[in-house]
Amino acid sequence: MNRINQKLREDGKLLSIYFTAGYPNLDDTVKIIAELEKNGVDMIEIGLPFSDPLADGPTIQKSSTAALKNGMTTEILFEQLKDIRKTVSIPLIIMGYFNPVLQYGVEAFCKKCREIGIDGLILPDLPFDVYQEEYEDLFKKYGLLNTFLITPQTSDKRIHQIDNASKGFIYMVSSASTTGAKQGFGAEQQSYFERIASLHLQNPQIVGFGISNSDTFAQATEKAKGAIIGSAFIKHLTQNGVDSIAGFIKSIR
Amino acid sequence: MKLKVCGMKYNPQEVAALQPDYLGFIFWGKSPRSFDGEIPGLPENTKKVGVFVDAPPNEIIAKIDKYGLQAVQLHGNESPEFCKALKQHYAQKPVKIIKVFSIKADFDFGLLDPYENSCDYFLFDTKGKLPGGNGYTFDWKVLQNYPATKPYFLSGGIGLEEVESLREFMSRPEAKYCHAIDVNSRFEIEPGLKEIEKLKRFKEKLMKNEMNVTPSLGKRSANSLYHANEKGYYGEFGGAFIPEMLYPNTEELRQNYIRIMEEPSFKQEFDQLLKDYVGRPTPMYFADRLSKKYGAKIYLKREDLCHTGAHKVNNTIGQILMAKKLGKKRIIAETGAGQHGVATATVCALMGIECVIYMGEIDIARQAPNVARMKMLGAKVRPALSGSRTLKDATNEAIRDWINNPVDTHYIIGSVVGPHPYPDMVARFQSVISEEIKWQLKEKEGRENPDYVVACVGGGSNAAGAYYHYLDDGDVGIIAVEAAGKGIDSGESAATSALGEVGIIHGSKTLLMQTQDGQITEPYSISAGLDYPGVGPMHAHLFRSGRGEFISITDDEAMTAGLEVAQLEGIIPAIETSHAFAIFDYREFKQDDIVVINLSGRGDKDLQTYIDYFKL
Repeated sequence: MNRINQKLREDGKLLSIYFTAGYPNLDDTVKIIAELEKNGVDMIEIGLPFSDPLADGPTIQKSSTAALKNGMTTEILFEQLKDIRKTVSIPLIIMGYFNPVLQYGVEAFCKKCREIGIDGLILPDLPFDVYQEEYEDLFKKYGLLNTFLITPQTSDKRIHQIDNASKGFIYMVSSASTTGAKQGFGAEQQSYFERIASLHLQNPQIVGFGISNSDTFAQATEKAKGAIIGSAFIKHLTQNGVDSIAGFIKSIR
Repeated sequence: MKLKVCGMKYNPQEVAALQPDYLGFIFWGKSPRSFDGEIPGLPENTKKVGVFVDAPPNEIIAKIDKYGLQAVQLHGNESPEFCKALKQHYAQKPVKIIKVFSIKADFDFGLLDPYENSCDYFLFDTKGKLPGGNGYTFDWKVLQNYPATKPYFLSGGIGLEEVESLREFMSRPEAKYCHAIDVNSRFEIEPGLKEIEKLKRFKEKLMKNEMNVTPSLGKRSANSLYHANEKGYYGEFGGAFIPEMLYPNTEELRQNYIRIMEEPSFKQEFDQLLKDYVGRPTPMYFADRLSKKYGAKIYLKREDLCHTGAHKVNNTIGQILMAKKLGKKRIIAETGAGQHGVATATVCALMGIECVIYMGEIDIARQAPNVARMKMLGAKVRPALSGSRTLKDATNEAIRDWINNPVDTHYIIGSVVGPHPYPDMVARFQSVISEEIKWQLKEKEGRENPDYVVACVGGGSNAAGAYYHYLDDGDVGIIAVEAAGKGIDSGESAATSALGEVGIIHGSKTLLMQTQDGQITEPYSISAGLDYPGVGPMHAHLFRSGRGEFISITDDEAMTAGLEVAQLEGIIPAIETSHAFAIFDYREFKQDDIVVINLSGRGDKDLQTYIDYFKL
């Protein structure tokens, strides 16, 4: 069974962390992953940096630009991760924009992920219908889970379609925004969380966007299975460096 | 809309000189216009139609063979079987069958069913004493119930006085399948003797009528090879590669854009504004001195004379009306040099809608006059501070704004780029350019199709508009001119077709300049309107399929060509357009080739660049 599915079966709420590979320094990737696992994080999204991250707010944009400047490439990331499964056992997901994957070759990319022990991909700008028509078989062949996003504007009908096509979890974007844009959740988010809970989806949901501290983590996971922190973690890395990861995780739960 | 002139007898040659699409010869002894003689040589594009009333098949066949008729019009009680047999007799030869039906106050359209598979066209005439030639019209409203999709001829008593009501008729849905207008007795001095001046006036009015008053907004054949399909693909390019956050916005647009564009009230408002506010139709100017110098017949489509100085406003007018129909309260847009930003700020001022323009921080610094124009028009100009701080980053910022404001905001994209339906929607709004070229060229040269249409391509909106109605006409050569910057191999270029690979940019699969690792690279051109790292998916497809010929022009070549046009024709073109004028050093044309260059914008905005370059 895929590590993601195993993790989702466990009791309790999941904390997932996103970071941009190659930031703050090119070679921090493995160290960050190790620190996160050591401090009890349940799942990690490794961000493959892209020059034009149009769904991201300023924090992730800046970290991506810096990572690329540091020299991060798809090839280097795979090289850094090649022995990761010797030491790390929690689920690892690569999250990025579709173009770098397309240039690497979608099949070659999937194959490499399997060799390394990557469990899934999140490619926000690979549309659901194109995935189903062109790439679903490849993902299956290499044992990768693909995760789709839903937002407060996604219709119930489409949510059910996405639920039927998903085999792991659904990435529930907390509000109509880019990453790192909102502070805290209001009544609008609460009713959205409740609406999704009432749909009784087959796949558990993990909430992302706008989670920055223990309060928002608790609110987001009240109904959902877990939550993802990205921008707030990157801000913390920028300000405090890689050695301060333990403190950040402890501040969340 | 095509024109048929019927009842040729005494002066067919003079009528033929007007180049109608069809000439009708009546082979019915009882008609005062009955034809018997020799048909003179006709222009290539004018088809000969024989008109018969219950004639025996062998007589019809004899006339077809004798006169080389390309169509027969059957005015009697010819049965569907009769039509079919005739059609089959000429299975190898393209003889079209036109079956006539006469209409009085109403009409049982069920009568058409049996003829559906046995004729090529219907013709609707006024029911009167005679089979045709009665001299008065029927109530065209009857056609509101036209159930078929077969093209038809509208006939019966149409004269110069009907131009206004034809104008109204053509804006209605029932005119969708109207193929041609058929005229006869109202343009005669006596039966069979046509009044040439009157016909000429009618033809001019008919052409203008159709083109100016009811923009087709990109009507086209369903099986086109070069237009977007339902999912927004041009061949392998296009689509909507967008994060889920943008799905509801683009989906709302996708589901509604064609429906809204086809609403008569939308067309009417769009057309009115293009006419009264933008100043359309823009002239089609024969560039005499340029033509002499380069040995071809060069026409300039003067988009530089549009309000705000470029073609961009055709699209922003369309999209602001679209936004209003969708109930949007706020407009955002990206801009590079500021031309699209100004065109957007202009229409927002016109409609009193809030407007935010994203512009790269670097572009804001180097395009100060346009920034001032936008501000004066009431728009907020927000700097894009990320990435390379130019057009592509401004586009990213606009998309991010749209993600954060999904409900009340409409994003006016300025080119044929972005996720479906933008490339198709923008191309349709810009298609007014080639729609006008068609009738203007017909007026000037007697034919709608030039040998070549030339346009510069950054994202490609002026090119998409200039090519639009010619894409599926193989006899029209399509030439796209890209900016080579300091040279294709210099590392400072924007020649996407030469340097690009297939990838995803701003939600569209297309050719784009990128690293091996899939990071989008920064383009360069002296022209701020051409330095986009991608190209619209339509153009990627034109390039890959070989339908379009792509030429890249360096900064130096473009500047020199711009100066030459200024001094030969008295027109200072935008530097973008100057690239299109530089092709004559690369591309030879025949003396009688008609080459239409889309003069997309005027050079006022580039004066400082020209001054610096030529030390003026």
